[in-house]
Amino acid sequence: MTRKNTIISALILIIFVLSLLALLPVDSERLGRKGLHLGLDLVGGVHLVYEADVSENATEQVRNMDRAITTIQKRIDKYGVAEPIIQQLGEDRILIQLPGFTDIDAAKSLVEQTGFLDFREVELNDTGEPVTLGDYLAQEPLQFIDRGESDRRVFVAVYYDTEGNQENKTVAFLEDVNGTIGLADAAGSPVGNAELQEYTDSLSWIAARGNEGTHLTGEFLTDAAAQIDQSDVVPQYVVSIEWNSQGSFIFDQIASQLYNAGEYGSPQRAIGIFLDDSLLSAPQIRQQSYQGSGQIEGSFTPNEAEELANLCKSGALPMPLKQPPLYQEKVSATLGANFINMSWLAGLIGIVLVMIFMIAYYRLPGVLASLALIFYGALVLALFKLIPVTLTLAGLGGFILSIGMAVDANVLIFERMKEEMRTGRTLGAAIEAGFNRAWSAIRDSNVTTIIVCIILFWLGSSIIASAPVMGFALTLGIGVIVSMFTAILVTRTLLRLALHSPLGRKTALFSIDRGKK
Amino acid sequence: MFDIIGKRFWFFLISGIIILVGIISLLSAGLPFGIEFSSGSMLTVKFEEPVEYDQFKEELVSLGYTDAIIQSAGEGQFLIRTQVLTDAEKTQVESTLTNRFGQLSEAQFTSVSPQVASETFSNAIIAVVIAAIGILLYVTWAFRRMPRPFHYGTCAIVALVHDALIAMGVFSILGAILGWEINLMFITGLLAVIGYSVNNTVVIFDRIRENLTKGIGHNFEAVVNNSLVETLSRSVNTSLTTLVVVLALLLFVGATIQNFVVVLIIGIIAGTFSSLCIAPSLLVVWDKKEWGRFIPGRRFSDKKA
Repeated sequence: MTRKNTIISALILIIFVLSLLALLPVDSERLGRKGLHLGLDLVGGVHLVYEADVSENATEQVRNMDRAITTIQKRIDKYGVAEPIIQQLGEDRILIQLPGFTDIDAAKSLVEQTGFLDFREVELNDTGEPVTLGDYLAQEPLQFIDRGESDRRVFVAVYYDTEGNQENKTVAFLEDVNGTIGLADAAGSPVGNAELQEYTDSLSWIAARGNEGTHLTGEFLTDAAAQIDQSDVVPQYVVSIEWNSQGSFIFDQIASQLYNAGEYGSPQRAIGIFLDDSLLSAPQIRQQSYQGSGQIEGSFTPNEAEELANLCKSGALPMPLKQPPLYQEKVSATLGANFINMSWLAGLIGIVLVMIFMIAYYRLPGVLASLALIFYGALVLALFKLIPVTLTLAGLGGFILSIGMAVDANVLIFERMKEEMRTGRTLGAAIEAGFNRAWSAIRDSNVTTIIVCIILFWLGSSIIASAPVMGFALTLGIGVIVSMFTAILVTRTLLRLALHSPLGRKTALFSIDRGKK
Repeated sequence: MFDIIGKRFWFFLISGIIILVGIISLLSAGLPFGIEFSSGSMLTVKFEEPVEYDQFKEELVSLGYTDAIIQSAGEGQFLIRTQVLTDAEKTQVESTLTNRFGQLSEAQFTSVSPQVASETFSNAIIAVVIAAIGILLYVTWAFRRMPRPFHYGTCAIVALVHDALIAMGVFSILGAILGWEINLMFITGLLAVIGYSVNNTVVIFDRIRENLTKGIGHNFEAVVNNSLVETLSRSVNTSLTTLVVVLALLLFVGATIQNFVVVLIIGIIAGTFSSLCIAPSLLVVWDKKEWGRFIPGRRFSDKKA
């Protein structure tokens, strides 16, 4: 028994240390972004629920929802919102949560806008070489290098992530506003040369136009689909696109221009596909004429091909969203800042008061229960961080409530112990009997709370994904489950340790005589 | 030794009065449903300069929002609740207010469409019903070895209904006086507390069962009272520790989750009272068939402790 107890003690100590290791960097940041996930009510943000206007059949509808979500995701990504949540809710609804982004009107127009798909080519200078942002930055005053094209330029920087995948980022625009040509940043605000110096290599993209000057846009596209190209030795995922008759005509004219502009593989031969001014893909033109259909190649994964096809096809959202949104909520950040500290204070005061109460009433067992409570707090918070659980005010409330409830198991055990000792058992026997007999009560008493937590989580997630309700249900549920473990295992182990130490001989520390009767 | 059960009719009287007041309030004032259940928009605006409530209200009325509920929420800060506002209407309200009272910032805005509100309402009811069924199944299971499971189960459920009625009654009164509203968090708090407090009842009933099988005491009332006293320190301590942390929540976090925390507090107090004083007492009343005592004017002769 003692040997087993030593192993369990060691195990508890290890779990405690691991919990602290997982948790402690938070302490330095006081619940900063990198630490625990904080809900909208704490960091501020926007919560929207839209209903899609769907009239097609069910299977089509589901596919369309995926496309709508991808499209919205792309749009939001441009704004650099940290950890946005964009999900399908139920059959035909879309949930959008933007933590830290409090401009609800901007968020709504971003989601509700109809996306614009267009095709662009790289601007060339007099000698037929690609024009970069650096070329424009070197100019004073600014003027268009390709005089024939007076519409705006889009500058795209190319990055490679750690896995070598190419990522495109629109860094600037060059636009003629009322006769003055000026540079603007990605959000459209005027920007000085100095801020753009790091992007000098970014290519300048201009509208791809047919011989009549018609800009090739998504309007001329009839279909886009991911396919497997079997013609190569290794089958490749490609995106095939279909044009309508006018589009086919314009596209062939553009293909012929680009084909003759440079070598295969050079920027001159690329056709850029842009959605809302973001470069989706820039495939190479391989032939002078496509006659209505073409393929975008690249080392796509099936998902990437599907996504690109969706974006090309949708451009705009695949279906309109009903306006106004079914649910909209905006919380300003200033409201939350204070509450984080207050919640921690409340939690701390709650824990300390409970400890004082337990120690005053149960003496040594109370001290051990308090140690178990500290262990409990560390373990639960570590779990919140690792899972991660998004903490809202109500979620913190659930955690704090669970502290009060966690003690219940100990109270049940200690009361039972006292009774066993009154019937004449020794301390050791009373401890074991106390645990054995109290266990069924502890288990039973947590069943209903867990049932309720499951129902509440469903209720919270069912319609608008209410973060407070879900957060409360989750934190309380986790708290209750962990508390069963800490009450039984930790308190029992600590009590056994105390029993075999010199403390075990001082029965007064176990407050046996304080009982009634 | 305490004689708790002997005072049972006092407990029934206390509960009865509180519930009666609550029911009167529920019937006359009803439950104050928030926009989550009844749809509408809620806008909190904050002015840089202090603004008089009356002037603020006057301005909104002149805009045509005669039904709007306006609450002062601190210095230069107001909460406006209206029907669902369109973007244009919201812009108009904000610009009119800015013209009149100076720069304002929008601290919070929530808008719930009628569709979402009615779905939330029906799902809340579904949740309450499922929770009730879940608790009922649990109670049936927990009392499967009881001598008369139906009695025990029914008394535990009556205690729950008692807690829910008190919480709703108190919120109806708070709604009428302070303008508090019932939202999803109210339901959440209520279910959490009910789920929690049913355990107190179960622990006490469990002890009654244990003592009955031991055969201590010949009189059912005495056994119930003994069991109650034996588990009293557990019941009180558990409720106290929970109450302490919830009070800490109320004092330090308050504000936006105030209503929620108050439901928890009411629920814990009512739940403790019902599991200590109401549920076991009802058991005894049932056992002794004392129902006649509840009917005024009819003396019950068999009453003997």
